Amino acid sequence: MEKIERLINLTAYLLESGRPVTFGRLCRTVYADVSSKGPALHRMFERDKDELREMGIEVRAETLEPEGETGYTIPRDEYYLPHLELSPAERVALTMVSRLFLGTGTPFSGPAHSALLKFAFDVEGGVDADAVPHVHWVGVPRDRRLLNAILDGLTGHKDLRFSYRSMGSSEPVQREVSPYGLFNRRGSWYLVGRCHLRREVRSFKLDRVTSPIEVNRKKPHKPDFEVPDSFDLRSETRWEWPGGTGGTARVRFEPRLAYGFSGGGARVEGSRRREDGSVDVTYVVEDPEEFVDWILEFGAGARILSPPGLVDLAVERIRGALEAVEGNA
Amino acid sequence: MLNKIGSRLNRILLMVPLILREEGASMEELCDALGAGREEILADLDVLFLCGLPDYGPGDLIDRRILDDRVYLSMADFFSRPLTITTDEALALLVAGEALVGAGFFEPGSPAGSALKKVGDVVPGQGRGSAEEIARHIDVKLGANPGRWWEVIEEGLERGKDLRLEYYSFSRGDVTSRDVEPLSLVTSYGHWYLLAWCRRVEGRRLFRLDRIISVEMIDPTGDGRSDDGLEMPELVGELKPGRNAHYVKLRFSGREGRRLLEEWPAATFTEQDDGTLTVVLRTRNLSWLSRYLIRFGDRLRIESPKKLRKLVREAASKMLEVYG
Repeated sequence: MEKIERLINLTAYLLESGRPVTFGRLCRTVYADVSSKGPALHRMFERDKDELREMGIEVRAETLEPEGETGYTIPRDEYYLPHLELSPAERVALTMVSRLFLGTGTPFSGPAHSALLKFAFDVEGGVDADAVPHVHWVGVPRDRRLLNAILDGLTGHKDLRFSYRSMGSSEPVQREVSPYGLFNRRGSWYLVGRCHLRREVRSFKLDRVTSPIEVNRKKPHKPDFEVPDSFDLRSETRWEWPGGTGGTARVRFEPRLAYGFSGGGARVEGSRRREDGSVDVTYVVEDPEEFVDWILEFGAGARILSPPGLVDLAVERIRGALEAVEGNA
Repeated sequence: MLNKIGSRLNRILLMVPLILREEGASMEELCDALGAGREEILADLDVLFLCGLPDYGPGDLIDRRILDDRVYLSMADFFSRPLTITTDEALALLVAGEALVGAGFFEPGSPAGSALKKVGDVVPGQGRGSAEEIARHIDVKLGANPGRWWEVIEEGLERGKDLRLEYYSFSRGDVTSRDVEPLSLVTSYGHWYLLAWCRRVEGRRLFRLDRIISVEMIDPTGDGRSDDGLEMPELVGELKPGRNAHYVKLRFSGREGRRLLEEWPAATFTEQDDGTLTVVLRTRNLSWLSRYLIRFGDRLRIESPKKLRKLVREAASKMLEVYG
């Protein structure tokens, strides 16, 4: 008998029986055709319960009177989707939410889709999909395996190990990180965690990870670390800046591009239009590399004025590109 | 994250109620809804056919019939209602919900908040490993600044109005005016786009929000187009250029060439054994590509076309002059 059949039969029986079922009874029914016996069979039952728990199906154990035997059930009120009693406005909002990640290849797309199917069970004729504002995240599957590993680490509080090439260095270095959080900025994924090598909380850009991410498999049910109470993902991101720590940057846009300065990249702190129509803009910059990339897109129409570290980074890129095309011309 | 067998069991436990909800379900509906192929669905039905309740006699097993490509089940009433919202599902919703709140789609105290709270309440578990706890450690920012035209575009979407856009075209370096029917707001790799039916070119076009100079709401001047259904694969396809585009081949000395997906989701990527990455893409817009590529500095070789090398050299020389 295939494992999938066994899990279905186990679920069906414990859900349907209405009263606790003993292990002995399970041996004569669900497990009757299984070749394992004795302790091996009991271990198999334990693994099956774990498997169901992973999926969100909780098998409850209780002591049966008068013999003191253990009986198992899956409580119906825990298994079945409850009636959520969503208002029409809530339904629209939830449809919008669950649609955001559809088909994106992130670990969120599949679950968001099945959640959407489940919500439709309590709505006569379903939700009018066209009445819901369309907002989509468009992407193609990439980093899916890395993201899955990070989610496993976050969920089980297990350490991660991978090779990482940091900004400005050419060789990747092996890192061991206790994952505290995961975030996405301008389409790029970043892992935040305590780096055992640097002994502090750092952000790691997934595009710079050069190996698969390994989750520590030792003692899977025991956490490797605790996230400090003081940790706050939304404020704790520490960016590696060339030649110093983060802050603001000034950029001059030529008149033709003056419309574009508030468009992307970073938060505008202030701007000043000069006599010739060009505009000097001060930005609060988080990720310096993303910022320089964005400014380079404007070509010769925008120039970073300060800080020197970012000017150097921009010039280094331009020189490198020039050398590269002359090298292979 | 669920392993292979967990994902399959999840699919089966959702498939059964979908079939039982009305009188059977067509094969096509099932494939669409479950995102699975016909063969997979048939294999799942074969598994169900062997399952049931003790004593697993003919009267205890689930029965499946397929008639005119419609699937029917009986003896499976214990699975007639789906499994409750799982941790993975709640996590996906919480992360997406937070992202949309952060992007300004929902006000605090809006229906989205109360709906997500209802979802959170039915998901078992608090503390370590619960969806709420994990979601607090995940933050998705949908584009840094959705721009000034957000509200009028959203209103146009909701009220079914057309929009008159003044749009800066990077490839041509000039501003054009277009009347469009808004279809969807799309976020892709940190940029926001308006997907719209352009009345001038009679086709769907993507407009990057940070390149829109002005937006005005106008009455529709043609037939509605939004009723032809938006499918995600199709949307990604919108980012594909036409056949008459330039064929571009690039080689990168590291993995970061993958970032080209930001702008060209349809590009193909081949990783070589020596760690280099070859990228092939098609674009009509070499001049913008040339500026885009400068960010990769000396880690990039342009294999073809020659014209792109020339453009990069010109752009880089000009930029170096600017920096003195």
